[in-house]
Amino acid sequence: MTHAAANHPVLDPVFAPPFPQAALPVLRNPQLRKNVAHAIDVIQAKRAKLVAEKTDWKELRSAASAIRAHALENLGAYLEEFETRCTAAGGTVHWAADAAEARQIILDILRQENASDVIKIKTMTSAEIQLNPFLQAAGVNVFETDLAEIILQLGEEEPSHIVVPALHINRSQVREIFARRMGLKDLSDDPHALTAAARAYLRQKFLTIPTAISGANFLIAETGGVAVVESEGNGRMCLTLPRTMITLAGIEKVLPRFKDLEVMLQVLARSATGERMNPYNSLWTGVSHGDGPQRFHVVLLDNGRSSILSKPTERQTLKCIRCAACMNSCPVYRQTGGHAYGSVYPGPIGAILTPQLMQMHHAQSLPFASSLCGACYEVCPVKINIPEVLLELRSQVVNQERKDLARFFDPMYLGLRIANLLFAKAWLFHSAQFLGRIGIGFFTRKDGWIHALPSVGGKWTQTRDLRGFPKQTFHEWWASRGPAPGPALSKEAR
Amino acid sequence: MSATISAPGQSRQRILDRIRLATQSVAQSAPQLAETCEALPRAYIRHGALPSQARIALMIERLREYDAEVVESTPAALPSVIAAQLAASGKHIFVVPPALPAEWLAKGFDWKIDNNLTTAEIELAEGVVTAASCGVADSGTIVLHHSPAESRRVLTLLPDWHLCILRASQVVETLPEYFDRCQQQPTLATTISGPSATADIEMTRIKGVHGPRFLHVILVRDEI
Repeated sequence: MTHAAANHPVLDPVFAPPFPQAALPVLRNPQLRKNVAHAIDVIQAKRAKLVAEKTDWKELRSAASAIRAHALENLGAYLEEFETRCTAAGGTVHWAADAAEARQIILDILRQENASDVIKIKTMTSAEIQLNPFLQAAGVNVFETDLAEIILQLGEEEPSHIVVPALHINRSQVREIFARRMGLKDLSDDPHALTAAARAYLRQKFLTIPTAISGANFLIAETGGVAVVESEGNGRMCLTLPRTMITLAGIEKVLPRFKDLEVMLQVLARSATGERMNPYNSLWTGVSHGDGPQRFHVVLLDNGRSSILSKPTERQTLKCIRCAACMNSCPVYRQTGGHAYGSVYPGPIGAILTPQLMQMHHAQSLPFASSLCGACYEVCPVKINIPEVLLELRSQVVNQERKDLARFFDPMYLGLRIANLLFAKAWLFHSAQFLGRIGIGFFTRKDGWIHALPSVGGKWTQTRDLRGFPKQTFHEWWASRGPAPGPALSKEAR
Repeated sequence: MSATISAPGQSRQRILDRIRLATQSVAQSAPQLAETCEALPRAYIRHGALPSQARIALMIERLREYDAEVVESTPAALPSVIAAQLAASGKHIFVVPPALPAEWLAKGFDWKIDNNLTTAEIELAEGVVTAASCGVADSGTIVLHHSPAESRRVLTLLPDWHLCILRASQVVETLPEYFDRCQQQPTLATTISGPSATADIEMTRIKGVHGPRFLHVILVRDEI
């Protein structure tokens, strides 16, 4: 397992190695780090420019946050309203409690349709439920149609970002994948040529494959409509040409009203790709006679979401509209890329979403994969306080570990219990300071810094230096500083 | 046919029960819900402040930023402006929705009128001409509601060249203004902001992946 993990990222939180271990292959791969840094620098700069020009950004963000929070507070009512309207418009709504049920519902629909092939619009939710391998194993050929997803599918790669999933792959790597898998020996690495190759590769599939799968950016309760946001037109192809459309959507995707899109579309495009508006948005309601798929299914997926909903601090995680601004702004993601998170949802949002979707049984290292700098919160268009949720989840992980008997003698927990005792009494604290200064003196270099500590202390110095103890404690300095300067200083200050 | 799914409806009830339990403290009746929703903070800009000329100028500027070609026309000159655009495109076979004004269909081109054209027939067309429902200047966005003059969705998708006729009176400044104009919510809507594009390879913007590579807009100055 570890060997495989070192060479190929594992994006199943159940099997993925802990974050610090999973991050190593990227940290040791300068090409990969360059690819990631370049991509997020470009998006960040575009986003910053377009957010700055929006004079009502603050108000849009407040509205977006309030709408999402309100939708979640009343999720049951809005989902039922969506179901009623969508059904009335000719759609069929299915409910899936977990990933296995969602996969089976989709496969059963495909069997009813006698579908041997299916075209797909990029959907992270389908990656979450590992739909593609399941359908392939059941004998259905799955064709991804988003350019980044084609690169990943043909290159047998894993997504490392939720908006630009192949950002870790550069043009020459794409050229190699396309040349090999599409049989195009003379393909150049010019992005125009690569894009044209993808267009040619997919055109016939769009025109002939009668069944498609999509995700949803928004479900509109008021109308029963579904909105998909995209750039390339592959989404429109899948939403227009096939006979049957299956939309997989997390239950949290619902918006109360059609009008709410006036806020969401404005904040989403700017946050996600740094555009005033992405090239295409599609909105459809059930089945429209003579236009587009005549059979339409929506699969509403819970898969842990209702449990997140029940917790007051964590609930805000579900406000997410998947813009990826948090990962683009994250200093940790910038260094490690997406694969280290061992989940299809990387970055700060992944660090809080993944362990919760796993009911805190897996991915416990992720809440610690952050410096808590707060950049993610600052850029989040729906104001998810990611640091707050990170801290909450950290405390849950620590509580899990504390209850674990095997951890009783773990040096860190032992140390913390001792610290707890020392800090409780002043005389103990002062004695510990005195002894500590003598002890730590052995490890302090001439520059006043500690570069390496033995044993458990090494866990700290492995990734950062530590200042040596000062000659004097604050208390000692305070006692020895002599009489206060008195009125002279206050006169000067005036 | 496999039948491994638990009885239909069982999961529905289970999920809804779990949601209700999770949100119990704030469960509201339908009228209350509408009221709370209405009271949400919406302090963002609803109405633009630009005078008419500046609004249209902004729409044109934003469209051009997306690499869309824009020309202006008076209502009277529209048929000849359309003809000139078609001629300049170098294309001959065009599909059009059934409700397009007859005077827009210039002579000398092969017009395929969409009375249930097959996908293969549409795929053979080199271009498409449609009307539109709305234009949003702030983001250079064209909104189609797919009325009989705006075509079925597939028509504006397969041909490589799209000529869209937008009237100045249809152009609003802000996105919320578009939503205010919607008397009733559309069942189908497509918003188009420039030609199909991708930045998936090294964030290099490439025009034209699957949708039309060329978007041409004629802005008809029907406002005084």
